[in-house]
Amino acid sequence: MSVPHPLLQSILIPLIAAIVIVIAGKKLKEIAGWISCGSLIYSTIMLTLAGMRIWVNPAPIYEEYAWSELAKLKFGLLADGLSLPVALIANLICAACAAYSIPYIRHRIELIYGGDDWGLYRFYFVLYTFFAIGFTGISLSTNLIEMYLFVELVLIPFYFLMDLFGYIDRHRIAIMCFIWSHVSAALFLVGAVLAYVKIGSFEISSLSSLMGMDALLVCFFILIGWLIKMAVFGFHVWVPWVHAEHPTCIAAILATIVGLGNYVIVRLLVQHLFATFKIFSIPLMIWALITMVYGAFLTLAQDDVKRLCACSTISQNAYSLLGIASCTALGVVGGVFYFISHIIGKCILFSVAGILVYQTGMRDMKRLGGLASKMPLTAALFVIGAMILSAIPPLSGFQAEWIMFVGIFRQGFQGSTTGLLIALIGIFATFLTLIYTFWPIKRIFFGPLPDELKNVKRAPLVMTMPLLILAIISIILGVYPDILMKFLNSAISLS
Amino acid sequence: MFETLRMFYAPWICWVSPFIGSILSLFIGGEDDVKLKGMIASTFTGISWIMALLMLPDILKPGLRDVWIGWITLPYGEPIRAGILLDPLSIILVNIVSFISLLVMVYSIKYMEEEYGQARYWSLMSLFVGGMLLLVLADNFIFFFIGWKIVGFCSYALIGHYYMDEKKYWIGGPPPHPFEKPSTCGLKALIVTSLGDVAMLAGILIIYLYAGTFNFLTLISTTDIWMTKMAANPGIITLTIILLLGGPIAKSAQFPLHVWLPEAMAGPAPVSALIHAATMVKAGVFIVARLFPIFFNGYWVNGFSEAFNFFSIIAILGTLTAFITAANALVSLELKKILAYSTMSQIGYMMLGLGVAGMSVNATITGYVGGLYHLLSHALFKAALFLCAGLVIHVTGSIYIHDKGLNRKYMPMTWIFMWFSALSLAGVPPFSGFWSKDEILMACVNAGQYGLFLIALLTAGITCFYSIRMIGYIFHSRSGELEEGHGEPKLMWIPFGILSSLTLILGLIGYWLGGILHDTFREYFINVLGIPLTASAHTPASLTEVIIPSLSIVMLLVAGTPAYIFYISHKMDSWKLVNANAALRLFHKILWNRWYIDKLYTITFVKGLHLLRPIVQRYIEDPIDFFLNIGVPRFFAIMCSGIRRIQTGIASINILYILIFLTSMVMIILVVI
Repeated sequence: MSVPHPLLQSILIPLIAAIVIVIAGKKLKEIAGWISCGSLIYSTIMLTLAGMRIWVNPAPIYEEYAWSELAKLKFGLLADGLSLPVALIANLICAACAAYSIPYIRHRIELIYGGDDWGLYRFYFVLYTFFAIGFTGISLSTNLIEMYLFVELVLIPFYFLMDLFGYIDRHRIAIMCFIWSHVSAALFLVGAVLAYVKIGSFEISSLSSLMGMDALLVCFFILIGWLIKMAVFGFHVWVPWVHAEHPTCIAAILATIVGLGNYVIVRLLVQHLFATFKIFSIPLMIWALITMVYGAFLTLAQDDVKRLCACSTISQNAYSLLGIASCTALGVVGGVFYFISHIIGKCILFSVAGILVYQTGMRDMKRLGGLASKMPLTAALFVIGAMILSAIPPLSGFQAEWIMFVGIFRQGFQGSTTGLLIALIGIFATFLTLIYTFWPIKRIFFGPLPDELKNVKRAPLVMTMPLLILAIISIILGVYPDILMKFLNSAISLS
Repeated sequence: MFETLRMFYAPWICWVSPFIGSILSLFIGGEDDVKLKGMIASTFTGISWIMALLMLPDILKPGLRDVWIGWITLPYGEPIRAGILLDPLSIILVNIVSFISLLVMVYSIKYMEEEYGQARYWSLMSLFVGGMLLLVLADNFIFFFIGWKIVGFCSYALIGHYYMDEKKYWIGGPPPHPFEKPSTCGLKALIVTSLGDVAMLAGILIIYLYAGTFNFLTLISTTDIWMTKMAANPGIITLTIILLLGGPIAKSAQFPLHVWLPEAMAGPAPVSALIHAATMVKAGVFIVARLFPIFFNGYWVNGFSEAFNFFSIIAILGTLTAFITAANALVSLELKKILAYSTMSQIGYMMLGLGVAGMSVNATITGYVGGLYHLLSHALFKAALFLCAGLVIHVTGSIYIHDKGLNRKYMPMTWIFMWFSALSLAGVPPFSGFWSKDEILMACVNAGQYGLFLIALLTAGITCFYSIRMIGYIFHSRSGELEEGHGEPKLMWIPFGILSSLTLILGLIGYWLGGILHDTFREYFINVLGIPLTASAHTPASLTEVIIPSLSIVMLLVAGTPAYIFYISHKMDSWKLVNANAALRLFHKILWNRWYIDKLYTITFVKGLHLLRPIVQRYIEDPIDFFLNIGVPRFFAIMCSGIRRIQTGIASINILYILIFLTSMVMIILVVI
């Protein structure tokens, strides 16, 4: 059984769904959400089928469509061991959050605009679907311009979603986020154009023909562009604001946007410009280390549930960067694995934070407490999310973390004492994760129940079930990591 | 057919079964259905025990039991396999763990009757047992570490079982002294043990980088190759040893990471029994015993002097812990806290035994067997003591020993079995605690570590004193005995009855049991692991075999007599004695405050963190935030208004701009060309 064009379908079907939602108009009401969610589930299935094909026969799937003769551009979609898992998991997270936002966004609109506004509701899901397509596109694209366009497809709806449905200071933060993300996208574009000028092609696979200074410059621009998006120390200040003020269902996916930098770095630089990328190895590792430690302390300093999740993204994402920057096969594979594991975990944590806001209207941990008795499933989900982040088996975080650290330690023993020191500080920094995830559990869910929370109800199943599915996927990856490792191993081969 | 089942599947079923029990007990039965959930959890633990019994005949035929799946494939590496290692160590441990867990589970069915959170409790208890069995049976570091982390997580969740922090579940006090809440205690346990776990993981990864394998047996057989590579960089072996030992030191609550265990009794009593006797703290001793042959090989066979640190570190830390925590138990007033201190102290003995075993070839078998034998007898009497304590606290409604005053006539079973277990803890012959402690003392002398021997001997005296003090306060108090009859439910006293009877039975055959264990492990070391145990010229005189038991019996009498006078016959009052003497008062204060170690940690780490939180936000994050998110936009705003000012719209000025522009362009072109 072979489905025709599975990759194109995974992008096209949600696109069609978005158009259907636009045409059908306001009378769809909540069905708009289900259409969007359904189309994303469909593309998840398509990607799974593609994945099964690769599992059986480890040759990449490549689809190519004519696009523009002028710049010799082709619209290519490539699913190999690296891009497919990333696309699949990102898509799955988007599908889960689509289901989650069906009640959530209605509630949000009610709060901001007073009463149901099905026009806005429909608009949300149109934007959301575009947004979700962007991730699949970025992962599967084969040339730099295509990738840039998909980045824009993520960023523009991102601005509107924040401006229309965000929290307190949403107009200002939306502009801020827009500027930050476009500075980063512009730098990436500079790198892409520079590469085109030198080699006359936007194809990712031809990046490897860059030499010397040119390679260094291209590498630098692409790297710095994505590092801003990855919120490394110094460029991290947009993350707490943007994550905290976004509607939760988008914030839950934000870790994916932030983390996608890891994938792009591996895809572009590690796979095709490895010799040049190696020059940046030690500085990047030190930078990642500073981000890890600083991010952890910053997270510990938060009292707001949503800002807590936001700040932990800064720290968590730097783990993956540390692994990738170690320039060892294990480090890179582990780094990508950790990225995938982290976005699942972060999606769960953020969504739980959203459930808390949805059910209690409170974000301040100083006022929360004892909620485990009122919403046991939600509490269990938060604990699972915390376990993924702090690498407690049988969840996926543990497998990812040790594989990654084998790579980091290997780099440490090949290189100087600095490398070893980085590895040791790095692994001890993971200890901080445990504190900043499990301490909030105690603050939010344990202890006596404050009087103002006596009437809190359980969260609707439509919000918790998608998270439970994500948790189960994380458990599966943790119990039998070869499902993912087989893909990643086939794609990443370094000396 | 039966043989295949026994040989190949028994170990797998053994550790998988509690995991299944965990899932089933979570979903089957209503929230309050303690009977059904308890039956499910007990049944699956029971299956584990039967499987463990089936493994017993294999005690001397070690080897990897079949591996089904390549589990994790690494780029350019051998696949990591999920495999089972059966050797005397794992078979003995599996039997202890599954048997005690089964009894604790049965006890819990009655104990947990009126508590909340049934589904959570039974599911986590099963997972706890499953994790421990997994870590014992695992044949490689990664597989082992998964069990290790699961055990740590379950202990966190179970210690904090009463997460609502109701006042009746607080521990600490009595009133002028501060109380601790269960959820804090759980968090403390998780954080302290995880610090050790992180260190251990680092150690494991370093070993992997040199050895290229996680498999224990391969690590032992190829020690010469990989340790040679390691020894090329001086300091690396020592660093690895320290990192590796971080895990067991934290998990087994040894100094300096011992602070979590006294608070770990905030959970229900069966949880404490499991943590102390079977599943949590024993894991540390187990892994030290598991790693023992590696470093033994490294030092005694291949002569890497740094490998010796492994043994000296655990021996010294073990002795230190044994002493300081035993001293703490002298003054403690909470029943379960006394038991917790005694656990740390007894684990210290086990560590000491394993440590001295590696310090001299003469002491190897005695020390190694002593450590494991003590693990066995401690598991029995400590589980029994905790289960008794659960019943006693339930009946009296107080966590303290000094306001109990139970009448032994109304709780005869508890009285007699608690005495049995306490005497075994004290190391009184003929209970099993005597024989196992004796082995360890003997090993110290055989290894020529007289300093450690003296401290251990002194600690044995202290142990005897506080054991009698504890029982005396509970059952032989002078004032106000509780007259009312309280039932002793069968489901509760039978489990601890079995355990404490076993400690007597094992004690009666203790001498021969020790002999069997000696032969088993000598056989295992020499023929299976291929480690030669050539004793040097100095063979221990048979005289020591008489002197040491006599010395320890003398010590018991020296310490036991005053304890009897103070707490059972009440001829003298210990409070008066302490209050009259300033030095004793000071000593009491230091002990009561746990040598101030706990306070020091709290001030440095907990208070420090709380101090750091606003500093990070205010002095690092806010300035960066202000600079980038407000400063830079403001800079552009000022630039804009500046530029706006020169846009006057007057034609002559604009012409001037054009002229300036043109001249500068010409200049640039000229310069470039």
